[in-house]
Amino acid sequence: MAHIHLGEGAFPLWALALWSAVAVILLGAVVYRIRRDGIESEQIALAGIGAAASFAIFQLNIPIWGGVHMNLTALVGILAGPLLGALIALVVNVFSAALGHGAVGLLGANVLVNATEAIAAYYLFQTLLGLDWDVFPASASAGTLGLAAGSLLMGAIIVISGVNGSQLPRSDLMIAVGGLVGLNLGVAVVEGLLTGFIVRFLASVRPDLVAAEEQTGRSGVTA
Amino acid sequence: MERWKQYLALVTLAGGSLVAGWFGFRATGGGLPWAKRAESALLGGLQSGGGSLVDITRGIIIAGPIRQQGLVLVYVGLFLIFALIGVWLYYRYGRQRESSTAERGGSRS
Repeated sequence: MAHIHLGEGAFPLWALALWSAVAVILLGAVVYRIRRDGIESEQIALAGIGAAASFAIFQLNIPIWGGVHMNLTALVGILAGPLLGALIALVVNVFSAALGHGAVGLLGANVLVNATEAIAAYYLFQTLLGLDWDVFPASASAGTLGLAAGSLLMGAIIVISGVNGSQLPRSDLMIAVGGLVGLNLGVAVVEGLLTGFIVRFLASVRPDLVAAEEQTGRSGVTA
Repeated sequence: MERWKQYLALVTLAGGSLVAGWFGFRATGGGLPWAKRAESALLGGLQSGGGSLVDITRGIIIAGPIRQQGLVLVYVGLFLIFALIGVWLYYRYGRQRESSTAERGGSRS
């Protein structure tokens, strides 16, 4: 559920430029890979539904841990693959920012955070399946760890950038960010388990949608 | 890997993350929504606070900026557009899959 909820102008200009540039490079690489290798049709179908679900849940504040929202980016990454997962992170963040949920200036940073969640969850899931794990523990663990990776990146981005208007010295800012990342890890468990249940359910009713790489030979989106 | 080891790893991961979450929750102000929590922690430093981890009475609500700007209908409309496109793509994939299966069956007979 990592998402940088700071207003416009919270980051210095150089940081906005830096994170936007890194996000553009990542998305450029993603689009290049998709154009070069193509996409399997079932993943396009999953990407469409995944984007709808992710966008919907992104805007809903649930009453746990004081009030947080989930992203479903790990689920989207596991189902649609890392490339489409990164593009869905872009789409969801653009529309969320258009509605005022997340600063437009932080789009690059937030896309990086959410794309990391999708990409990390996908590769962890495939690795665990390769180690002969069952679908539920593999997807729940991959989801939790993928979201944890996004939280750590979110913390790193905030610490590197600094926050305009904050009187905290860098060391205190790191401690404050550590607290936020810690909270995010707790939320990651909830979302990770939800991801596990959904993937397990899909694997039982439509195993072709959740097949491991070697079964489908998904050359298109398996980076 | 044996199943019990997989679940032990998952339980260990979940337990460690929940403990980190609990410390983060207490250290960053307790029962505060995420946006307020992030702003107060990053601008003013850590301030410990209490409150319950789960507050059912609060219910599930739409994000503050969307509610306050009266954009709930836009949000619902965007979701419906996304959902319709998703379902249409899923339907197309199902049809495509059926026709390719039928073609393979026809070529065999």
